[in-house]
Amino acid sequence: MTAVNVYQQRPTTGAKAESSLHHADLASLVGKGRKNAGVTVREKKLLGHLTIRGDGHDPAFAAGVHKALGLELPGALTVIIKGDTSLQWLGPDEWLLVVPTGEEFAAEQKLREALGDLHIQIVNVSGGQQILELSGPNVRDVLMKSTSYDVHPSNFPVGKAVGTVFAKSQLVIRHTGEDTWELVIRRSFSDYWWLWLQDAAAEYGLSVQA
Amino acid sequence: MSQINRLSNGGRIDRNKVLSFTFNGQTYKGFEGDSLAAALLANGVDIIGRSFKYSRPRGIFAAGAEEPNAVLQIGATEATQIPNVRATQQALYQGLVATSTNGWPNVNNDMMGILGKVGGKLMPPGFYYKTFMYPQSFWMTYEKYIRKAAGLGRSPTENDPDTYDYMNRHCDVLIVGAGPSGLAAALAAGRSGARVILADEQEEFGGSLLESRESLDGKPATEWVAAAIAELQSMPEVVLLPRATVNGYHDHNFLTIHERLTDHLGDRAPIGQVRQRINRVRAKRVVLATGACERPLVYGNNDVPGNMLAGAVSTYVRRYGVAPGKKLVLSTNNDHAYRVAMDWFDAGLQVVAVADARSNPRGALVEEARAKGIRILTGSAVIEARGSKRVTGARVAAIDVRAHKVTSPGEWLDCDLVASSGGYSPVVHLASHLGGKPIWREDILGFVPGEAPQKRVCVGGVNGVYSLGDSLADGFEGGVRAASEAGFKAVEGVLPKALSRHEEPTLALFQVPHEKSTARAPKQFVDLQNDVTAAAIELATREGFESVEHVKRYTALGFGTDQGKLGNVNGLAIAARSLNVSIPQMGTTMFRPNYTPVTFGAVAGRHCGHIFEPVRFTALHAWHVKNAAEFEDVGQWKRPWYFPKNGEDMHAAVKRECKAVRDSVGLLDASTLGKIDIQGPDAREFLNRVYTNAWTKLDVGKARYGLMCKEDGMVFDDGVTACLADNHFLMTTTTGGAARVLQWLEIYHQTEWPDLKVYFTSVTDHWATMTLSGPNSRKLLSHVTDIDLDKDAFPFMTWKEGLVGGVPARVFRISFTGELSYEINVQADYAMGVLEQIVEAGKQYNLTPYGTETMHVLRAEKGFIIVGQDTDSSMTPDDLNMGWCVGRTKPFSWIGWRGMNREDCVREERKQLVGLKPIDPNVWLPEGAQLVFNTKQAIPMTMVGHVTSSYAHNSLGYSFAMGVVKGGLKRMGERVFAPLADGSVIEAEIVSSVFFDPKGDRQNI
Repeated sequence: MTAVNVYQQRPTTGAKAESSLHHADLASLVGKGRKNAGVTVREKKLLGHLTIRGDGHDPAFAAGVHKALGLELPGALTVIIKGDTSLQWLGPDEWLLVVPTGEEFAAEQKLREALGDLHIQIVNVSGGQQILELSGPNVRDVLMKSTSYDVHPSNFPVGKAVGTVFAKSQLVIRHTGEDTWELVIRRSFSDYWWLWLQDAAAEYGLSVQA
Repeated sequence: MSQINRLSNGGRIDRNKVLSFTFNGQTYKGFEGDSLAAALLANGVDIIGRSFKYSRPRGIFAAGAEEPNAVLQIGATEATQIPNVRATQQALYQGLVATSTNGWPNVNNDMMGILGKVGGKLMPPGFYYKTFMYPQSFWMTYEKYIRKAAGLGRSPTENDPDTYDYMNRHCDVLIVGAGPSGLAAALAAGRSGARVILADEQEEFGGSLLESRESLDGKPATEWVAAAIAELQSMPEVVLLPRATVNGYHDHNFLTIHERLTDHLGDRAPIGQVRQRINRVRAKRVVLATGACERPLVYGNNDVPGNMLAGAVSTYVRRYGVAPGKKLVLSTNNDHAYRVAMDWFDAGLQVVAVADARSNPRGALVEEARAKGIRILTGSAVIEARGSKRVTGARVAAIDVRAHKVTSPGEWLDCDLVASSGGYSPVVHLASHLGGKPIWREDILGFVPGEAPQKRVCVGGVNGVYSLGDSLADGFEGGVRAASEAGFKAVEGVLPKALSRHEEPTLALFQVPHEKSTARAPKQFVDLQNDVTAAAIELATREGFESVEHVKRYTALGFGTDQGKLGNVNGLAIAARSLNVSIPQMGTTMFRPNYTPVTFGAVAGRHCGHIFEPVRFTALHAWHVKNAAEFEDVGQWKRPWYFPKNGEDMHAAVKRECKAVRDSVGLLDASTLGKIDIQGPDAREFLNRVYTNAWTKLDVGKARYGLMCKEDGMVFDDGVTACLADNHFLMTTTTGGAARVLQWLEIYHQTEWPDLKVYFTSVTDHWATMTLSGPNSRKLLSHVTDIDLDKDAFPFMTWKEGLVGGVPARVFRISFTGELSYEINVQADYAMGVLEQIVEAGKQYNLTPYGTETMHVLRAEKGFIIVGQDTDSSMTPDDLNMGWCVGRTKPFSWIGWRGMNREDCVREERKQLVGLKPIDPNVWLPEGAQLVFNTKQAIPMTMVGHVTSSYAHNSLGYSFAMGVVKGGLKRMGERVFAPLADGSVIEAEIVSSVFFDPKGDRQNI
């Protein structure tokens, strides 16, 4: 594999790791806040994130992805979740693979092996983004305050995922369960999103889950 | 004085819940369920303010959004002040504090009242233009005076403690107005299963049914309202928004709704609750059920407190249990207004007379009134009212409407309340916000919405459908239509039965004639809020203003927050008669959002304070904060600017940081630089086409600086790109250019060269970048890495992989300071741990963190440009003396090549980037200063360039600058001058832009 430079970017020695919301110390907020909060937030941090690009119309590409991951290539605006792994359509030639912490290097190698000589790109973006999971009866209200995209279940069913405007920036919204949603947020914007979500959820009550 | 005008029973108020409030400092009591206006009337408050122009006393005139006079300032504290609140729309709450917005020293004894009488003459119509347009410099003075005198309300000077926000909503059917037709439409649409939003501006749904005499299915109409609301509440896809004014109808069925969630609860919102919310609604279909607004008649002194809109009298009697007077004279041109006389009569109050302009009215309501023994004077109207602070009488006389003449002397009737009804105007505002011209209908004497491309349906009163039964049916049908057009199957429904009765047409009477000419008769007000009289409109037409838009601007008719709700049609009718044209020929003015005023808090929503704008942080931000960095905003990023120590100012800190880098080693957080991962067999060729220089021969393991130009040949970004593998590159961009460079690459790939096999992905946030720079950087790095740092093993402009602080890293030997430098990239999650180890190891080398200011100085000493500071989108690589970075022999054309070879781009004497050395080494050349070759010339001098970067505090020991000078590269050693605004002149020598280490020995060791 001399055509691309693939290497293990995550230390294996138990080096100090800080998620993009490390400074907010969410762990210390667990159990505080209103009882029966309308919104619960959980940081799904330090996971493996890979951006995969390739020709979605090429059956060989879909087959290769399936061979490597055991997942069908998701179509437009959908996310497929299997256990701790999810594969999401980001654009006509772009997908996001999220795997458990530390599995991204092996996943990239597997994908590259399965995709052979196809023209693709796989990029480790694990350090650049993370997921915030929101659950509870008022998550939809918080989303409605934040995005002009229609989050009603008739337009945004479970399994749908979109990249869209959110407050004054952009992020990815994934509907993963009836009252459960995920936001894929960029590292440098994380503080803004955390401040924004606390504010938007204030009237419904916000709790933090470990 | 305790609620002297409160009726002993009736009204939708809770008499057990007494609320106290103050108006202009005096304390009053009202009941829960009252509007502020109702409570003021209950307490016999006649004068609510002074008029805008003539400073005449004014009282409450209407009961809804159309109220022109009772526009008050609300707020118990400075921080909670809200101007422009209509007392008719504000629910009463305990402790409410309201004040008039004009009248000084107070509304009852107004100094301006005397001035106003003079001022009226001084301020003829058109005074905006006649007075203020010239001389322009006086406007500021006039404005202050006018605003104080006119009293247009004031904004708070302290921060609003409440929360305001936005809510984005989508629906199949948005219904505007919850009167009879709107409720019927909501039931029809809701039953189909469609997503429905029903919004109404009032405290409760029901509209006219809340004060109606009518029954539905033999029961009070309010019972049907309650049942309809209950049914709607049970529908999961129906959203009910009371206290929510649909204020704007925008393109593509996007509507903005101003919802007042807690304004009825108190001066401040309860803790944790939102005060007001802008609902931003995208609707597949819109049903406009905005109803109709009664017009007053225009007669003499029709503005004295005690003159009211007829329907408002019914509202106060029936909905609030308040009688705004004792003895009523009603002046009407239609049947519908007779219910007012009967409501008054049924409340046990005295109806002095009804003046009906029609000669022989025989409608069912008229007969009903006759049967009650109410005195009806036909062919007559109230000609003028009498009284100064309150109506004491009204003169009713026979009139000839066609001839516009009074035909009898008439009689003065003793009364304290004159109610007038001149017919009804459909509320076409929303239907016209997008420019749809309303159409005049002679049969109802009103404008109805015209054809419009919007996907909307108009129902009920706004359509000119006035009788209750027809209005319900029209609403239901509209709801069915809207839902089915949105793709839902409508369900059959049964509507409640309303009594249908014979009603006769309204007579076209707008301005009531007077024996004297309009100009000499007592003032006949058309627009009470803007103090526009019938005489003013006639004057406007006499002065040649024939277009309705000109009449509006000349007189201020329907200006501002009023939006012509009461006066528009009357004003048009008067202008039309004066010009001898018909009303439809006259046309209407534009209606604009917002329908009623919106607070700035609601407009701002949550985009304020600490979440006003996104702020981006690097993974090392906490360390910077701990080390007392001052921060600089770079785009949305917070970057350390400098790290002051022991009370240093910026200059001292920067000088120290510069010296540390030149002498030993400094540390910079470079994480904000844009980073783009590029893969694909054609990646190299793509780089050849987007960069000005050549990339064919860049070996794996090496890095190269590149310039990017737009098609015009002007530099737009720069950075270093490294070859990671044959088909794999890592591009860096400027901090501010990261997003637009990625977009630029995608655009060119997708539109121009889709055949090239290459993909791009941003990794800006993935990698954290720490730059070690200075002669000791190698020694320092060797303590924390397993990479062979030998100068031959790891030379300048190459990169290596290895562990730094135990974390896998890519280290680039590139330099922006001119010193030996290493840029260490690690996955951002692990950066803090790596940084801490570097800092620990760096102690023995006086490792000094530095910020963007020192970075700017050090790079300038080396003559390295900053795109956007030393360039301004008008500079080619040659202008920047960077011709070495242009691949003039690349086989395939590339972006900017053609542009930079245009005749103008290759001429002599273009402005070129050079170094500037002030002759006095202690003088700082201001950035942006214009340069001239010769100061002995007249102003304006011939400018030959300007200063782009300038630093007095640096490692060189003398002030220096970079700048562009015409033909500068051929003028080395010559002098330029910077004449400054204060008259001083700074002289400088044109020198090479590389001030430090011109051979580059220090970075290449």
